[in-house]
Formats: sequence, C-alpha cells, structure tokens
Amino acid sequence: MRFLRRFSFGRTEREVVELFRRHMNTVKLACEVFLKALETDDKGLFNQVCELERTGDRIRREIALKLYGGAFLPAMRGTLYKLAETVDEILDMLEDTAIDYLRLNLHLDEELREMCVRVAKINVKMSRDLAEAFDGLKSGEGLENRTVKIRTREKEVDILRNRIYEKLVEREVSSYWEGKILSDFIDHLVYVSDIIEDAADLIQILNVSLR
Amino acid sequence: MLSEIVASIIAFSIGSNNTSNAFGVPVGCGVISFRSAILLIGIFVTLGSLTQRKVLETVGSIAKLNSTLILVVLVVSAGMIVLLNWRKLPISSHQAIIGSMAGAGFAVGTAKFGILASIIMSWVISPAGAMVLAILVYIALERVLSRVPVFFAERLIYVMLILSGILVAYNTGANELAAALAPVVSSGLLPHFEASVVGSASLFAGALLLGGRVIETVGKNITTLDPLSGFSAQSSAGLTVFLFTVLGMPVSTTYCLIGGIVGVGLLKGVNTVRVKLIKKIVSMWVLSPALAFILTYSIAKVMLLG
Repeated sequence: MRFLRRFSFGRTEREVVELFRRHMNTVKLACEVFLKALETDDKGLFNQVCELERTGDRIRREIALKLYGGAFLPAMRGTLYKLAETVDEILDMLEDTAIDYLRLNLHLDEELREMCVRVAKINVKMSRDLAEAFDGLKSGEGLENRTVKIRTREKEVDILRNRIYEKLVEREVSSYWEGKILSDFIDHLVYVSDIIEDAADLIQILNVSLR
Repeated sequence: MLSEIVASIIAFSIGSNNTSNAFGVPVGCGVISFRSAILLIGIFVTLGSLTQRKVLETVGSIAKLNSTLILVVLVVSAGMIVLLNWRKLPISSHQAIIGSMAGAGFAVGTAKFGILASIIMSWVISPAGAMVLAILVYIALERVLSRVPVFFAERLIYVMLILSGILVAYNTGANELAAALAPVVSSGLLPHFEASVVGSASLFAGALLLGGRVIETVGKNITTLDPLSGFSAQSSAGLTVFLFTVLGMPVSTTYCLIGGIVGVGLLKGVNTVRVKLIKKIVSMWVLSPALAFILTYSIAKVMLLG
C-alpha cells in the first residue's frame, strides 16, 4: 500500500535524492572529462562524454518513474522532474559539443583553445557548485552561496564568449561547414553554463516551493 | 426499526459527503490513495463513535420525544439532506437533525432552550475559531518550515496531512455521526454500542460507494491551495471540532473547514476570498436548520391535532 510505503520514512524519496546526486555527479564527471579531452585533444575522452550522456538519460528516466510512482508531494514533483530534465540537458549539450569537436576534427589555434579551456574550467566549477547546491536542499546549508557563485561564474562565461567571438570573426575558414561547425562548437560550449544556471534556479525554486 | 433505517441512511449520507472533509486534501495532494483513505476513515470513525458520548447526549437532550416524533425528525432530516445534496447546496447533517429535533420539541413543549442556545452559539463560534486558528497555524508553520531543509519540510507536511485527516475522521464519528444517532439512542430505540457499530458501518458504506466522487471534486478544487494552506485549514478545522466534541457540542466540520480556508485566504489577501460563495454558504447555514425546524414543527403540530 502506497500509504505504508510513504510512511516508511520516505524510502522512495531517499532513492530519488540519491538518483539526483548520481545525476549531478555524472554532470560533474562529464565536465571534467570534457576539460581533459580539450586540454589533451584526446578523441577517446570526447567519446567518454557521449557515454556519460547516455548514463544521464538512464538516471533521468529512473527519476521520472519514481516521481510519478508517488515519491514526494505533487506540489514538488513538477519542479523536481524539470530539474532532472535540465540536468540531463547539460549532458546533452556537453555531448553535442564533444560531437562538434570530433566532427570538425578541429584544429584550434592556441589562443582560441586557451579561451575554450577557460570556459570548460568554469563549467567544471559550476557543475561542482550545482551538486553542492542540491546537497544544500537536504542539509539546508550553503544553497544561497552556491547559487550566487553559479550566477557569477555564468557572467564570466558570457564575457569570455564575447572575446571568443571577437577572435572568431578574424579567423579564416576553408568551407561553410567548417565555419558552421566551429560556430556550433563555441555556441554549445558556452551554452552549458546557461543550463547549469537554469538548474540552479530550479533548485532555488524547490527550496521555497513548500513555504 | 424504521427509525434505525432512516438513521443509517443519514449515516450513509455523512459517509458519502463528509469523507472529503477528512481526506479530500491528502487525496487531492496525492499523499494517500483513495483506498487507504477509506480504510482510515472506517477505523477512526468507528473509534470516534465508540469513545465519545458527549455530543450524542447533548443532541439527545434537546427535547424529549416519543418514537413517532423521532421518526418524523429523522425522515425530515434525511429528506432535507438528500434534497439539498441533490441540488448541490452545502448542508450540515447535524444542522438538519438539530433544527428538526428543536421543531418537534417546541411542538410538544419539551424543547430545552438553554441547550439549543449553546448549540447555536457553538455554530457561530466554531467556524470563526477555525478561521483564527488557521491563521495562527499558517503563520507558525511558515516560520518553522522556513528554518528546515525543504526535503524535511516535505516529510513534515506529509505526516501532518495524514494526522489531521485522521483527526477529522475521528471527529466525524465522535460528532457528526453522534448527532445523527442521538435521536435513536436517546429515545432508547438502540443502545449506544450497537448504534455506533451500525452507524459506522453505514457511514463506511457511504464513503466507499459514493465518497470517491466527492473526494475527487474537493481534491481537484483544493489542490489550487498549496499544501501548507490546505493543511492549515484542515488541521484548524480538525482541532476546533475536536475541542467542541470534548465540550459536547455538535458542530459542523464542513463549516469549520470553510472557516479555515477563509482564514488562510484572508491572510493571503481579501481578494482571494470568494465573497459570493461565502454568502451562499452562510445563507444555507441559517436556512437549513430553520427549514428543518419549520417543517418538523408543522408536521408535529398537525399530528398532535390529529
């Protein structure tokens, strides 16, 4: 009976929280692997990012099944599922960026690569902040600080994006497709931080949803 | 025998309509399934009916009536409850029963004015009390919940919604059902224990067969309230009715619940309260016992003349 199951001190809810933690850790790992791949130009590591995206998909499906199987009050379920979707979107975006890189067989000049690495480093930090912000939902501590940090870092990425575009327009491309894929690669890379910020906003909404 | 059957019909009607008072919010919020809600209602209504006698004694002492007049009281009450429910107008079963008892009592000259006056006072005070209590519960809970992590707050609301549902179910047995059984018990047609068992069984049947429809309606309407507001309204109604039950006063959970919802609404801004709907509810609150009184009084007078 659902009533007795729910009364067993929230076992299903604990499972959902644990799944979210795994989801966040997958994002963190994907950001780290992506950074390393970019720094070392290791194609195998880019493929690993795509693997992690599939892991994220599986976790999102599990979260959805548990949520709509009765975990948590319905007042929270919608936002929790939206959070799972948004976290999954971060992984999708990292996968798209990795594919762009592989497709392009990209040769980035040093200055451009260095700026892209800086964006990827910020993404790693933001993914750590996001995981800690989610933990704050459970402990009630540090959530505000983490979300503020995420917003600040996102602004840093915005500034870097402008500098990257300034650099890009000076760059010669050999074909339309090279230019298109390079532009997509940059767009996707900088968009990761936007989605992490969206996820942080959802965590803040969750934090006030029952008050 | 006929009186017992009519009392069972009233209990059945309480079951079909008042189930939503206890678990409309938790079922609407998805906290508990309809089947679990019905099971808890069955258990706690029976417990309430068996353990509390004060309301039953108060209603039974409104007037001394013979078995024929008891039957008239019950038939008029049941008729009004069925008719007004069919017209989708809010009616409290005990207002119909008490209005009817008073009508018969005044017709034969056995009505006790003091008891009636204190019951009417309780009807006025209880929704107002629930309204004030809902405001206090909401403010206190808001403070508590803002200091605890959200996942803990969610668990707390879940447990509290179930507990307040259980309290309201208990009150339904101890107060609403007690008022319906009072005429048959006070006139000696059935002993308290048997009346409670039969009444609880009829109420359970009403909840099981027709309660789902009402719960669904209340649930859908109530979910527009956030869980905190829903809980504040329901728990304050539960506590108010419990207090009046201990004092032996028959009061309506439905009206207390409405008082609680209005309280939370006022706290969130007067504009959120639908004044037109409140006017309709208040007019029914005055009209239904008055109508029951007039009908039974007239029938009893005609019978006495005959």
